[in-house]
Amino acid sequence: MRAVGSSLPRVDAVEKVTGRAPYPGDVDLPGQAWMKIVYAGVPHARILRVDVDRARAMPGVIAVLTAADVPVNEYGLIMPDQPVLCGPGSTPQAEYVRWEADHVALVVAETPEQAQAAADQVRIEYQELPVVTDPLAAMEPDAPILHPFDFPYPYGERDRRSNVLLEYHIRHGDIQAGFAQADVIVEAEYRTHAAEHAYLQPEAGLAHVRDDGRIEVIVAGQWMHEDQEQIAHALGLPRERIVVRYPAIGGAFGGREDMSVQIVLALAAWKTGRPVKIVWSREESIVGHHKRHPFIIRAKWGATREGKVVAARMDLISDAGAYAYTSTKVLGNATLMCLGPYEIPNAWVDARTVYTNNCPSGAFRGFGAPQAHFAAEGQMNRLAQALGMDPVEIRRRNVLREGSILATGSPVPPGCTALQVLEEAARWWLPERAVAVQGAGSRPTVEGGAPAQHSPEGNPARRLEPGRPERPNGLFQTSLDASRRRVARGRGLALCFKNVGFSLGFPEHCHAWVELHGGAEIERARVGCVGAEVGQGAHTAMVQIAAEVLGLEPERIELVAEDTDVTGSSGSSSASRMTFMAGNAIQGAAERALARWRDEERPARAEFVFRPRPTTPYDPETGASDPNITYGYCAQVADVEVDLETGHITVKRLVSVNDVGKAVNPQQVEGQIEGAVAQSVGWTLLEHFVQEEGRALTRHLSTYLIPGVVDVVEEIVPVILELPDPQGPLGVRGMAEMPFIPTAPAIAAAVQDAVGIWMDELPLTPERVWRALREAGKAPVP
Amino acid sequence: MRAVDYVPVRSVEEAVAVLAEHGDRAAPLAGGTDLIAQLKEGHRSIDLIVDVKPIPELMELSYDPAAGLWIGGAVPCHRISRSQVVRRHYPALLDSTTLIGGIQIQGRASLGGNVCNASPAADSVPNLIAHSATCHVAGPQGTRTIPLEAFFVGPGQTVLRPGEFLVGFRLPVPPAHFGAAYLRFIPRNEMDIAVVGAGASVVLSPDGQTVQAARIALGAVAPTPLYVPEAGQALVGQPVTEESIARAAQIARDAARPITDMRGTVAQRKHLAGVLTARALRIAIDRARGTKTVDSLGRLNGHA
Repeated sequence: MRAVGSSLPRVDAVEKVTGRAPYPGDVDLPGQAWMKIVYAGVPHARILRVDVDRARAMPGVIAVLTAADVPVNEYGLIMPDQPVLCGPGSTPQAEYVRWEADHVALVVAETPEQAQAAADQVRIEYQELPVVTDPLAAMEPDAPILHPFDFPYPYGERDRRSNVLLEYHIRHGDIQAGFAQADVIVEAEYRTHAAEHAYLQPEAGLAHVRDDGRIEVIVAGQWMHEDQEQIAHALGLPRERIVVRYPAIGGAFGGREDMSVQIVLALAAWKTGRPVKIVWSREESIVGHHKRHPFIIRAKWGATREGKVVAARMDLISDAGAYAYTSTKVLGNATLMCLGPYEIPNAWVDARTVYTNNCPSGAFRGFGAPQAHFAAEGQMNRLAQALGMDPVEIRRRNVLREGSILATGSPVPPGCTALQVLEEAARWWLPERAVAVQGAGSRPTVEGGAPAQHSPEGNPARRLEPGRPERPNGLFQTSLDASRRRVARGRGLALCFKNVGFSLGFPEHCHAWVELHGGAEIERARVGCVGAEVGQGAHTAMVQIAAEVLGLEPERIELVAEDTDVTGSSGSSSASRMTFMAGNAIQGAAERALARWRDEERPARAEFVFRPRPTTPYDPETGASDPNITYGYCAQVADVEVDLETGHITVKRLVSVNDVGKAVNPQQVEGQIEGAVAQSVGWTLLEHFVQEEGRALTRHLSTYLIPGVVDVVEEIVPVILELPDPQGPLGVRGMAEMPFIPTAPAIAAAVQDAVGIWMDELPLTPERVWRALREAGKAPVP
Repeated sequence: MRAVDYVPVRSVEEAVAVLAEHGDRAAPLAGGTDLIAQLKEGHRSIDLIVDVKPIPELMELSYDPAAGLWIGGAVPCHRISRSQVVRRHYPALLDSTTLIGGIQIQGRASLGGNVCNASPAADSVPNLIAHSATCHVAGPQGTRTIPLEAFFVGPGQTVLRPGEFLVGFRLPVPPAHFGAAYLRFIPRNEMDIAVVGAGASVVLSPDGQTVQAARIALGAVAPTPLYVPEAGQALVGQPVTEESIARAAQIARDAARPITDMRGTVAQRKHLAGVLTARALRIAIDRARGTKTVDSLGRLNGHA
């Protein structure tokens, strides 16, 4: 049996379904104390005084820590612009709060109730400051400045009198000459919104000082060694003094890439000498960690009559929120991906990310690509319509191919399969619709709700098992659906590309070691690699790749992944990189271990650090660069129904065509596709993190609506292509974010097909759709 | 959550005595799907939970061909939606008891709790009004009955006096050619609080062509669940046509006095009040004519 390519059960499946797998909140130690964080509660203020005397006198209180207790009171994944604790007593920067969920004090007590009661007694005296929540307003000359103090800034000089955190520019070709050649020009403004990760497991953890004097932090994250680095920095300790351990992790999606409870747990355990535990409520989780970036994207694209895009001008503004988090990196991705997976000879992009008093924005599956593609694919679909051209055909005429030159002046990395992905999607799009789509809005209004059946004939790449039952029609129909009399149907298509691995000059690498045990034959292997298993199945994939390269049964592989002592950094479980990076590292270590085995070393052990081909940062003026290691590609076809009376959108079917290079575990690949589509449908139709004057209004899952099982697409069709990535281990291509990305523009195009209205602001809530229908005179009177 | 005392009571008299003794420091507990959450979130503070589920009348679900349907105040939704009597005679009840919360919530949540929580958006209320339900209340001064449409005073407020509690509901036997329906609009398809809800019932002439009586009630469009008698009245004596349905829907829309909040705007809610009224009326009419049935999961059949 070949290990790679088999849908083996996940290595953690039994532990997780039986409830034995310990998540951070399940871990306890004798003598542990409980911590409660005192949050700012106001979005912008100077703290004049923090009075903790009454809190310290409360029953059961062990310690109350404030800014003065933090050795190096700053942190941040990209730049340390955020205080660990806000308040007087450390740095001028830390005297200010810029976010309602800034941490001000830590209360450690014998019980969670005592910690809460004491936290309620902490008194904070504020001098309130004007609040800015709109990134456009934040760029006005008289806007309140959020970060007037210096901090280490990795992009050269920062203007401390501006809220603009970073700008990127692309100047490619001659934009004016490009528009001069265009026969049609389409312009639009796209807006996307903040969204919550809503992973199953709210933030939690436990820290303690071990007998060897090192501080161990047991927590859920995405990148152990970076957590270790940031904890050590804030505590002013050498990195070796910190051990970070990941137990089972209940989802991440980018939401655990930045610090939440890591530093404060370590600080509290270190200062009190007690094991200290914290478990956030759902409300603390929703309010207390970053969100997907809202973007405003102004777009102007021109094409010739033949459908060749000759000019694209894009202006991007993203709301960074109160602190940098990964805003500059997300901006970097969006700057390139707002042009879509197309070779456009003349491109002009201006992109800015701007501080506001909103919840910080940061990593979330897709990392700027969903927002950027919502605009790029919206433009492509508009151009198709303006030219009367089939949406597949116009893409065919512009799509990146092997050797295409990106707007950054560099060739797309080898293994570009955007065209093959598009052609597979075309089989599901159905060519006869090329005519129907010309008269957008002309989709017939039908009585009743019986869904149409479409499926391409004999698709060899479709990995669905034959005879797999489709969901019976109407299974998920609610009584309100059933009461509909007037619906409009439409179909939409979108294509995307997304980088695999970190971009723009980041020194990407991943450590692994392999140890072979036995005598004449290899009896078992131990594999060390600490890539975070956040629920995506990374550990299973690592075992399968090791088994494949070593020629061993997967049962003979023991993966060692629990803490920062195992080996060096494997980098983050993000950017669709972990299987690609860890696979390469494990393959390298395994091949070297096998060589030593042949040299009769027992046990045979080898370490390997995989370093992919280097990338380069944007030129500040022109964007010239070799931005990414490689890309993944995905295309989707969405079928929707719009209830013309209520504006409610139902996604009937969504076909997702994904080139994954090599499906290490096809079932998990399908799971990633289905999960991404479900999550993206939530972002497109429902989920809306609402903030007003710097305060989150949607603080619970009762008001922040994520899709339930009956809200997910009635039929998701995952189509898996295996066109090897020449840089991938065994051909593997990163794939976890890609199926999130085309969903919103495909649904928006389908809605346009159905009702003839471009919906350019997400989410497409019933209220917005109904309002748009009414304004267009298309909402019938009941 | 603060520690709270718990006492089960076994009779209506015992419940009245305990509730009267502790006043507003005590609260009756049925399924607890509102009460426990409110205590946990600190939205409500009491010292004593009075569990009324051991009282036989509170857990009784029974049908009498003369008196109609009795629904004990603590009977959970899942028992109501699985009752053959309810399916046959009280179709709108089935609509609401299969869409309140999710499956787990329906295993606990009661109509008594839903009504006494007095949310303007309560899903059980518009259809109970459509079915002409009356509330049976017990208190220190004895028992009294109140039409459901007169039970509410404001958001979270009812006509219950100190020491009184809701024993159950009586729904009259539906006349021949009767049909009823409840619809709710939410942005997703389950487990949410109504943006608007509409309950409607009709009594048709034996040939199914004329409306003899109709009742229409709305949720989430006023400080209390809103009975709109004039909308039903407008249908009386009218032929069953789209025009007459549209007229009643228009009256319901005009009667709606919603607010704008995170779940919806005034304009959207008024519009939806009309849309849902019309749709609920059409289903009620189909049911009265016997052209539509309800499947085992409470979903509508007979649609293309």
